[in-house]
Amino acid sequence: MNNPSSAHEIAQAATAAAAVPGPPAELVTGKLPLHFTGSAAEYFRIWIVNICLTLFTIGVFSAWAKVRKKRYFYSHTLLDGTPFQYLGQPIPILKGRLIAATLFAMWYTTTHFFTMLLPVVIVAALVLAPWVVVRSAAFTARYSAFRNMRFHFTGSYLSLSKVMYGWAVITLLTLGIGYSWWHQRMKRYMANQASFGDINGEFMATGGQFFKTYMIAGLMIVPGVILVSMLFGIGIAAQDGANKTAMTVGMLIVMYSLYVMLYAYTQARITNLVWNNTRLGPARFNSTIGVRSLLVLYLTNALGILASAGLLIPWATIRTLKYRAEHFSVTSEGSLAEFRGSEDMQVRAVGSEVGELFDFDMSL
Amino acid sequence: MLKARLYDGSTPVPDQATLILSGPMARLVSRRIDNQYPAGQLRVSPRIGQAERFILFPDGLQLQCPDADMLGRLPQEGATEGLVAWLEQRWWVALTSLTLLISGLLAGYFVGLPLAAEHISANIPIEYERTIGEQSLVWLDENKVFLPSKITPEGRQAIDEGFARLHAGLPLDGHYRLEFRSSPAIGPNALALPGGIVVITDEMIQKADSLGEALAVLAHEIGHVERRHALRSVMQNSVVAVLAATLTSDASSLSLVVAGLPAVLAQTKYSREFESEADEFAFWLLKQNELSPELFASMMERLAEDDRGKARLWSFVSSHPVTAERIARARKAAEN
Repeated sequence: MNNPSSAHEIAQAATAAAAVPGPPAELVTGKLPLHFTGSAAEYFRIWIVNICLTLFTIGVFSAWAKVRKKRYFYSHTLLDGTPFQYLGQPIPILKGRLIAATLFAMWYTTTHFFTMLLPVVIVAALVLAPWVVVRSAAFTARYSAFRNMRFHFTGSYLSLSKVMYGWAVITLLTLGIGYSWWHQRMKRYMANQASFGDINGEFMATGGQFFKTYMIAGLMIVPGVILVSMLFGIGIAAQDGANKTAMTVGMLIVMYSLYVMLYAYTQARITNLVWNNTRLGPARFNSTIGVRSLLVLYLTNALGILASAGLLIPWATIRTLKYRAEHFSVTSEGSLAEFRGSEDMQVRAVGSEVGELFDFDMSL
Repeated sequence: MLKARLYDGSTPVPDQATLILSGPMARLVSRRIDNQYPAGQLRVSPRIGQAERFILFPDGLQLQCPDADMLGRLPQEGATEGLVAWLEQRWWVALTSLTLLISGLLAGYFVGLPLAAEHISANIPIEYERTIGEQSLVWLDENKVFLPSKITPEGRQAIDEGFARLHAGLPLDGHYRLEFRSSPAIGPNALALPGGIVVITDEMIQKADSLGEALAVLAHEIGHVERRHALRSVMQNSVVAVLAATLTSDASSLSLVVAGLPAVLAQTKYSREFESEADEFAFWLLKQNELSPELFASMMERLAEDDRGKARLWSFVSSHPVTAERIARARKAAEN
């Protein structure tokens, strides 16, 4: 510092810094609210510019576009006043997309043209699936950060395969009843393997709780299924074309409404169940998504998107994220200082992130 | 001078700090530290929307501060992202993008894609399709869509000879193969599988009043083969499907709009165009062989009687052009 005015500034700054002691931040306990500050108009511009660039680069830019979108969502999600950070880089994402596109093309050609190869492809897909899940979860965790500390995912191919396929076999043997337990074990595995500042997640929800949710969902659709079968019966019996058509259309409407209802119900209840039973050290989570409000949200989104020929997609995205954030909070039951970061968990300047050979992301 | 929250990376607990930039040096002051760095070693996270940004220091400290023009003078994390961010902030750019996007999609859909598919398919030998066509036939046989034909050898021979006369001298002459099958599942029908394999069902042959009418249907299928519709539709439809999935990817998970719907609607247009093209080809081919397109018209009329009512309901999204139109065009071709 070689001029007097800046020396003065520094003196001021030092006093200013010292003068804002506030409550010692380490002792913050209680509710840490989550806010989403994104706006539909702003996101519309980001969305359309990135789509345009993606289209005119024949898809190559899509990896960069994904980074921009993710960055927007993360940066506008504030926990206790601090935005999350997305650190993913386009090249690993591009790599993931190329791998995904190749796999999809292989899948498409075998299912459409070379059906005799299908068993081989299915076995290959089953072998690959846990690897894709582990790598993608690791990528998402590693490139998400909060307050200069990255998340981490320690899952491995073998341990995930055991959970994934062990419980899948049980699900098959029990004619689907075991699915609730499969789902619960998967969620527990993912929570246990995820960590922040060397503290791993804990998961308390039981398979029985998942089962109860799915049971209620199942009972909910019984009247709908009866209605659909009745319409189907009338449709078969109807002689003239007009009645047949009316019954078919009625059947489709009932089926679609059932699907939407079921989707909203399971989404809301399972999300709440999972988060309300997850713990990360001193942090507990509260998720209070309502079935009815989620249903209304989905339906209005769908109507808006259809009526605007897709132009309201960004609006739908933003209000969904806003809704999720408003119905989510974190409760700290201790000191955030319990999370101890290490140097290799710190956020680094991007230039140094070369990425490993198998560093790729296949999530959407 | 910038007042901001400082994160040291050892705990997720913020500290108050002040950053002072003066010339080539940056000074960071808080209750615990008082550090100096060359300003060139700082890195600022990319601008996105209205979000606060982060300044990274070479020793791993991180500062969160509101977006300000002043940050533009510091070294940026990603060089290209700054340009994209600049574009994203402007409404005129957004509206230009929207216009470009819509015109690009329309031009590609109506002109570019069909032209490209036609050009590419003309350069791919039809031999490459043969395995696919044979696989499809095996699949249809194995899944009982097709059952063995009950047409007498004499009947087959007459149709075979007529079919051979029709495609004699056409560019893909050496690649045709006619297959007879009975099919309660799809009824009176004829298909052109990839690689020049044409299948005609017993039900179709029985519907025909004369050999000429059966040949009129086969001429339409020859049109599909000659114009490489199998390959072109695979190319065009996959591009449409991928595009539709890309454009609606954000919507699929959160609003329950069926992402497949726009793709299906877009693809039916191509499919109808291929049918019309095959029709026109058939009219020409029939006349070349001194047969009248009227044969095609009368055959279509008889087929339409079966599913009257159905045709009207599905005409909008149907993969075939409205039957009445096709008949009228055939009659017109017959007159000329």
